[in-house]
Amino acid sequence: MIDLPVVLAANLLQNVIFGLIAGLAAGAVFAILGVGLVVAFRGSGVINFAHGAIAAYTAYTFDQLREPGGGNIYLPWIDPIPELGILKTLHINNLPVSIQIQENPSTVLAVVLSLLMAALIGLMLHFLVFRPLRNAPTLGKVIGSVGAFLYLQSVAVLNFGASNRNDPGFWEFTSDADKKPPLENFLGLGSNLPRSTIALAVTAVIVGAIVWAFFNYSRFGLATRAADENEKGAALLGYSPQLLAGANWIISATLAGVAGLVFLHRTQPSQFILLVVPALGAALMGNLNSIIGATIGGLTIGAVASAGVSLTNESWWPTDALPADGIRQFVPLLAIILVLYLRGDKLPIRGSISIGRQPRAPATNNATLGMVVAVTTVLIMSNIFTSSWESALTTTLIFVLFMQSLTVLVGYLGQISLAQWSLAGVASWMVARLAADGTAVRELDFFVKDGPGLPIPIAMLGAIVAAVVIGLLVGLPALRIRGVQLAVVTLAAVVAIEDLLLRNVWLFGEGADTTNPMPVPTIGDSSLSGFNPESNQTDNWKYTMFLLIMVAFVGFLVVNLRRGAIGRRFLAVRANERAAAAAGIDVAQTKMLGFGISSAIAGLAGVMFSFKLSQLTSENFSPFVGLALLAFVYLGGITTLFGAIAGGLLVAGGLSAEFGALHFEGVTQAIINLIGAIGLIVNAIVTGGEGIALLQTDQGKHVLSGLRRDPSIAPEDGPLTISQEELAGTEGATV
Amino acid sequence: MSDNVLETNGLTVTFGGLNANDSVNLAVPKGSFVGLIGPNGAGKTTFIDAITGYVPMSAGSATFDGQDIGELKPHERAQAGLVRTFQSLELFEDLTVRDNLLVAAYPTKWYSFILDMLHLTPTDHEVEERVNWALDIMGLNNEADAMPTDLSHGRRKLVGVARALAAQPKLILLDEPAAGLDTAESQILGGHLREFLDHDMSVFLIDHDMGLVLSVCDYIYVLDFGQIIAEGTPAEIRDNPSVKAAYLGEQAGEIQAQAGEAQRMSTAKDGEVTS
Ligand SMILES: Nc1ncnc2c1ncn2[C@@H]1O[C@H](COP(=O)(O)OP(=O)(O)O)[C@@H](O)[C@H]1O
Ligand SMILES: [Mg+2]
Repeated sequence: MIDLPVVLAANLLQNVIFGLIAGLAAGAVFAILGVGLVVAFRGSGVINFAHGAIAAYTAYTFDQLREPGGGNIYLPWIDPIPELGILKTLHINNLPVSIQIQENPSTVLAVVLSLLMAALIGLMLHFLVFRPLRNAPTLGKVIGSVGAFLYLQSVAVLNFGASNRNDPGFWEFTSDADKKPPLENFLGLGSNLPRSTIALAVTAVIVGAIVWAFFNYSRFGLATRAADENEKGAALLGYSPQLLAGANWIISATLAGVAGLVFLHRTQPSQFILLVVPALGAALMGNLNSIIGATIGGLTIGAVASAGVSLTNESWWPTDALPADGIRQFVPLLAIILVLYLRGDKLPIRGSISIGRQPRAPATNNATLGMVVAVTTVLIMSNIFTSSWESALTTTLIFVLFMQSLTVLVGYLGQISLAQWSLAGVASWMVARLAADGTAVRELDFFVKDGPGLPIPIAMLGAIVAAVVIGLLVGLPALRIRGVQLAVVTLAAVVAIEDLLLRNVWLFGEGADTTNPMPVPTIGDSSLSGFNPESNQTDNWKYTMFLLIMVAFVGFLVVNLRRGAIGRRFLAVRANERAAAAAGIDVAQTKMLGFGISSAIAGLAGVMFSFKLSQLTSENFSPFVGLALLAFVYLGGITTLFGAIAGGLLVAGGLSAEFGALHFEGVTQAIINLIGAIGLIVNAIVTGGEGIALLQTDQGKHVLSGLRRDPSIAPEDGPLTISQEELAGTEGATV
Repeated sequence: MSDNVLETNGLTVTFGGLNANDSVNLAVPKGSFVGLIGPNGAGKTTFIDAITGYVPMSAGSATFDGQDIGELKPHERAQAGLVRTFQSLELFEDLTVRDNLLVAAYPTKWYSFILDMLHLTPTDHEVEERVNWALDIMGLNNEADAMPTDLSHGRRKLVGVARALAAQPKLILLDEPAAGLDTAESQILGGHLREFLDHDMSVFLIDHDMGLVLSVCDYIYVLDFGQIIAEGTPAEIRDNPSVKAAYLGEQAGEIQAQAGEAQRMSTAKDGEVTS
């Protein structure tokens, strides 16, 4: 009688312990990646979002080398000249992309070449992105880093294709760890453990120890640590700070490559890209400067996440509400938030490093003319356009609408959130669920969804409220976490939202992530849905008008927001939280207000977007789409309505992409994103992130001609700034 | 008691074992002009940080306008009328000078954002007037639409003072407002400081410029190593032997002050001074 619960509890304990141990495999990868992030951060003060993408590119390279019919490497770029017209027949390539090595290269050769590829990417990041940004404000570094992330992701898709790759990986050749049978009933815990789990954990510890010893005992390591504190320190040891930074980038990228190779047998190369999230958790647990801390942190996150996942196998676990993947992603998010939150301050302390110059955010005092022109243009277009052009027009409108949520949150308030597109996703899911009533939306629909069957306007409202609620939750850490660290948290939130919410069967019904039949909004008898079931196209003129009204109305609100007292307060918080509090501003409340407004706009955009589709899948809201949108709105100009319009014109599927597709063959989403990524990096370097929209202003022209003298863009020796405190110090006791 | 706008009792601030403020008892009577002087690192800025809520008090209490403010957040203290300036500028760099002042001057309600977004917020003439007055008194009328980054260091310091004035404080806390000013700017400031008292406010001034402090203050406290070592009227402070001892004599101090001033000005002119 009493025995049963005891047995169950013992069983549970066994499962959890086994989960912890099994998780060391993934933990090992997080640890190695985390160590690489620490190396890059110490070398150049950058949090590298592209770190997982380097691992992915390395893994792809290894696989491509050994692929039947492969044996070549793809350099990390594409040929910039599109193959069109006469160029195509002439086969003019001005940049080599593929280099044939040999069929079936030896393991050693494949490993060496792959790691060289990683090192090459590290060098490129150093010379092309982060060296030019070394004195840029925080914002510039963050968007440079996001740009690198998108760039590598897009190039990987373009060079290696989007299809799955199953590579037996690295261990097959070395220890045969996975070819041998797993360790049966490991430690008597009742489950079988793959041998490579132990090999991976040991590898992570060895890698951590080697890197740690290198940085603690070699001259180079000492110089790096000296440079960390003071650039002159490194110079004294005979190293140029930039040489050190470059060398550290190579080490960091190579470590990413190592992680990509040792874990390849367990995962798809493309999956490495987002492993940057748990890796960031690991690095943060090491305070971004401790290699041992990052190693332990990575192993811990892996172990705890896996133990959490093992709980989901228990019969009592509500798998519908808390799916295993969600738990897996939630643990790193929680680790990141905890570490940063506990370490953060409500207000930055005196003399803490300033965030640097922000893109200007001029108020638009007379937007009427611009609005009238824009609206008229859209009206004319919508009357001329049909089929794919009309679809491109609505895509542009949707993203102009969405980007205004970023104008408010990132542009006005200075809170760099990467999660807003995921909030649009939450709203899309919600509107489908709330409007559903268990019957088919369209006659031929295969899928039906259960739901309360609310009228569509109310369902829309409910969806927006849901986006606001989740948006406020995502924003909560922002009360103590700032700048690039907030970007890290929100990136982790993106992954967690996708796996915890958008795939949540309990919330959104069966097929939550694959099939959400979208309701059809109507006025009278006519459909306002963008999807036209008769033509199977998305060319409904009434939908375009519906969207146009929403875009113009939100544009009106957002422009006015900037002109008023609240807008000024947003900019005050963006510029200086300490001073804002001294001016009587409740910084926490103001941030929450910004997150709320922004999330409402994102939610509306998500709802409007979903009306364009017959069915919604989580692919529409993948992290890469969200980051690409951020890239384009930065490129357009993050601080103004016209920046959002410029951004909306540039996105994949938008008007300029449609134009491009007309003239150039094969303009895919990946190419558009690639262009966006490059634009983002160039924008960060040239304008500090101000974007196209501000280039027309006088000061913008100044920026263009590179004449702008800015203390944050200082000569090689670093910024020459004397703080008032220091000045006061030189005066001594003068009272 | 109740005629003190600010009063601290045994106020202590500890940074890792070091008492930056050590049992400071200090009072600012309503409508008066009180000064706090002391050598660099004495803990003057820390004192302002503590009473405005920027650093936690380790012990002691502070009363503002009859209310214990120990538990209030920085912005709540500012809203209550306890408004500070910063030694290190801390302006809103992306806002024009006028907007810098408007931020502090415009009260907002929870629903203000709705009115703002619909462009329905009426202009508050009283606020606009107060902002104009603050600009005027600091001689910033011609620079109202400039960005702070386009102004000299001294001008920017005046913007900081004007921003605090625009908030309509009951007590304004000035942290070395004259440091970094050139002679003309110093005169603008010095000439107007006592005028503040006519606008329903009390003034608490920290400055290095001994001449300025002695000439404008009603009452002066002297801080050294976190402790109040002397207090009194300007005349008493001038003659206080322990003050003289602490600062190697007023003469030496003033010479140093002038040297420092000259250096500051030459650096400021290069336009390289940022804080
Ligand atoms: N946030 C802080 N953390 C640690 N020590 C601090 C902090 N702020 C000030 N201090 C120290 O407290 C002492 C007093 O500094 P401060 O108040 O700035 O002096 P003053 O304004 O009189 O020049 C100094 O030794 C300073 O280094
Ligand atoms: Mg001070």
